[in-house]
Amino acid sequence: MIFSKIALAITFSPNLINHLLEVKRLKELFNAELFLIHIGEKSDEKYHDLKEAFAKCGFKESDFKLIWENGEAEDLIMNICIKNKIDLLIAGALKKENMINYYLGSVARTLMREAPCSVLFLMKKNEENYSFKKICVSVDFTNISEYTALKAFELAKLENSEIVTFIKEFEIPGLASTIYESEKKDELRVRKNNLLEEEKEKMKIFISELNLSGVNISTECLIGKQGWVISNWVTENNYDLLVIPSLQRKPKLIDRIFQHDWEFIFKELPSSLLIIKSDNSEK
Amino acid sequence: MKLTSNEISVFILSIAMMLLFARIFGEIFRKLKQPVVIGEIIAGIILGKTFLGYYFPEIYNYLFNSSVLVEITLQGFIELTIIMLMIVTGLEVDLSIVFSQSKKASLISLFSILFPFSFGFLTVYFLPELFGNIKGEQKILFGLFIGTALSVTALPIVVRLLIDLQIFKTEIGTIIITAAMFTDIFGWIFFSFILTYFNPTFHNNNVLTQLITILIFITFIIFIGRKIFSSIIHFLEKNTISKGAVISFIFIVGFLGAAFTQSIGIHAILGAFVIGIALGDSIHLNEETREIVQQFATNIFAPIFFVSIGLKINFIQNFDVVVFFVLLILSFIGKVSGSIVGSYFGKINTNDSMIIGFGMNSYGAMQIVLSLVAKQVGLIDDKIFVSLVILAIVTSLISAPLMKLFLKKSNYQQNFIDLLNKDLIFFSDYKNKDEAIENICYKISSYHKLDFELVLNKVLEREKQMSTGLVNFVAIPHARLKIKQPIVSLTILKNEIDYGSLDNRKTRIIILILTPEDKPEIQINLLKDIAKYFNTIEISAKIINIQESSKIITTLKEIKRINKL
Repeated sequence: MIFSKIALAITFSPNLINHLLEVKRLKELFNAELFLIHIGEKSDEKYHDLKEAFAKCGFKESDFKLIWENGEAEDLIMNICIKNKIDLLIAGALKKENMINYYLGSVARTLMREAPCSVLFLMKKNEENYSFKKICVSVDFTNISEYTALKAFELAKLENSEIVTFIKEFEIPGLASTIYESEKKDELRVRKNNLLEEEKEKMKIFISELNLSGVNISTECLIGKQGWVISNWVTENNYDLLVIPSLQRKPKLIDRIFQHDWEFIFKELPSSLLIIKSDNSEK
Repeated sequence: MKLTSNEISVFILSIAMMLLFARIFGEIFRKLKQPVVIGEIIAGIILGKTFLGYYFPEIYNYLFNSSVLVEITLQGFIELTIIMLMIVTGLEVDLSIVFSQSKKASLISLFSILFPFSFGFLTVYFLPELFGNIKGEQKILFGLFIGTALSVTALPIVVRLLIDLQIFKTEIGTIIITAAMFTDIFGWIFFSFILTYFNPTFHNNNVLTQLITILIFITFIIFIGRKIFSSIIHFLEKNTISKGAVISFIFIVGFLGAAFTQSIGIHAILGAFVIGIALGDSIHLNEETREIVQQFATNIFAPIFFVSIGLKINFIQNFDVVVFFVLLILSFIGKVSGSIVGSYFGKINTNDSMIIGFGMNSYGAMQIVLSLVAKQVGLIDDKIFVSLVILAIVTSLISAPLMKLFLKKSNYQQNFIDLLNKDLIFFSDYKNKDEAIENICYKISSYHKLDFELVLNKVLEREKQMSTGLVNFVAIPHARLKIKQPIVSLTILKNEIDYGSLDNRKTRIIILILTPEDKPEIQINLLKDIAKYFNTIEISAKIINIQESSKIITTLKEIKRINKL
């Protein structure tokens, strides 16, 4: 089973119904146990609104477990996930946070960086339902990225996706400085192409080792700043879902100031985002 | 006061001669696969006091010594080249890499600075007589300078070395690049502090003000200026067709920064370097623009700068063998021991730490610029300057061979042939794939004292996913285990067996590889490497017909040499 316990972090936003419908679909798709988490003050009026929303989406009471608590949203959601052994947390996220929220951390951005389980952030591109027909997966030839690739592929099979594209990004820091020492006019380009070809070969082997079948696969190796390059690629190619492994260390404010890797993605989501937490990831 | 027509022609002629000699010697060194910078410095030595000035003083004086105005103009031109070099040096420093470096890289960066810096400073402090007549307060400043000069690393030389040695994309490659960038930042900022303190026009009570000004300037440019520059670059990239606008912007801001720091009593190099870093951090500054900027700054301006190094000094008369060897020994001990200690705490083995140490111990252009500025302000004399320039040349030349020496034993040299052990080459006769795998696993397990059941299960588990039978009679069963070093064995089968190969041919060569579980990339690299060896049916046929282990290794080495694998 790809995810056995999933949870939706509910907010009273205009997207509530869409999120509930999507989580219902995913619950059925994964055949998973569903938890609905809401953090906020309890009131009859809110409870009534929620019940109405559940009914509108065709939820029966036995379909889910509602957890309603009041307090610091990020901490409570993370604690609930740990306590209930949730393996996929689902939440809505804005495409872009304002500068203050980005640097200080909104609930969604904090969960992206620190969630104790895998997290799916839903970002709707159009009026149609959420769908993950075109999935892009970031890989880097590590055990963690192998796990991420396999999970993403499992999801693609369940979703009957059109294509899964595996992308390896890599940087060549300082390469331009070698231009001075280059023997031929296009030596720099040759060096770059050689490195690119090498990555492409490794990518082929990496994918063949995963033994994936059932969904169309493509691979890309891109040179540039990690996170930034894949984010642009997903936007340009209009993919529905970007899958990445979770961060390997707890991020600090300095990572947001001198952005790298996933921070580029967190700053402006190119699509819905699935962050896979593996057993090897730091908890 | 203005240049006469004759002075203008002499000035232009001297620039032309410098460029000509730089090009000739630079090209010779390029052909010799050595850093071009060294050829250009040698060109300067030949064109300068050491050779031309000594043997043909009339020509030398006509070109470089005939008029004070020409000398001043040339000096101004060289100052400009230093500023340009600093801008492009800064452009290649990636702040996000430096700030997101791993614990291992942080430790190595730290110790690679701490050790050479301490060794340099303490040697000057306790044994100043080794460096000439150095006294009192000067001893501390001079010690700090020598420490800084021994801490830096030349990023362009390092990047090229790593690419040539094919370890650029490995963990140690990343560590070396990160540490080199870190030492760049440390070196230039710390050197600016030294220059500020040394500046005779400032009294001790306003040194503190100067230091605070430096910090405010750096903080402002890195935190706020960086964002503004990035937005402007983005705007220019989007709204202008040619790269000209962005390139002009880079140099305009770089020159402004240099002028600002110079005007407030800090050397212009700091402003140029810091602005370079801030500009280079922009995600909107694409590779093509970076390359053009590098080309512009380094093809015309850098050669003139490097030639100018040797122009005014007699390198033979000012070469002090004791100073040079003291610096050489300090550089090696400092960089290598710093790297070993950093690697020890970062859990990197000693062999790899030697590669890092020797990789970091190439000073190149960085040290030369640093030394020239120090000489200009009177911090060092001609003898120390000459020794530092020669040290930069020597370390740039010997880094690669020393790294190669240790690379052979490194985990990162995941070359199939280097890992193939003569004792693990077998000539056998098996009925089928299962029997072959079981027997080979048994032999490897016995030889390396591994758990046979575990090895066999892991290999079979992988085989269940999909057959590892490739093309050209070759199969590569493989598995990842809790081992530290990769293990490679090669078996030549006397008879053909069915292995479910991709080309439907039977299998005669089984290369079984076991790699560390925690480093999947090693497995990928090995599979890629083996596929390159057996890319034609002729090569496989050649290997199949060999009946001696040592001959197989010799033949594979020959294939590697011929095909440049």
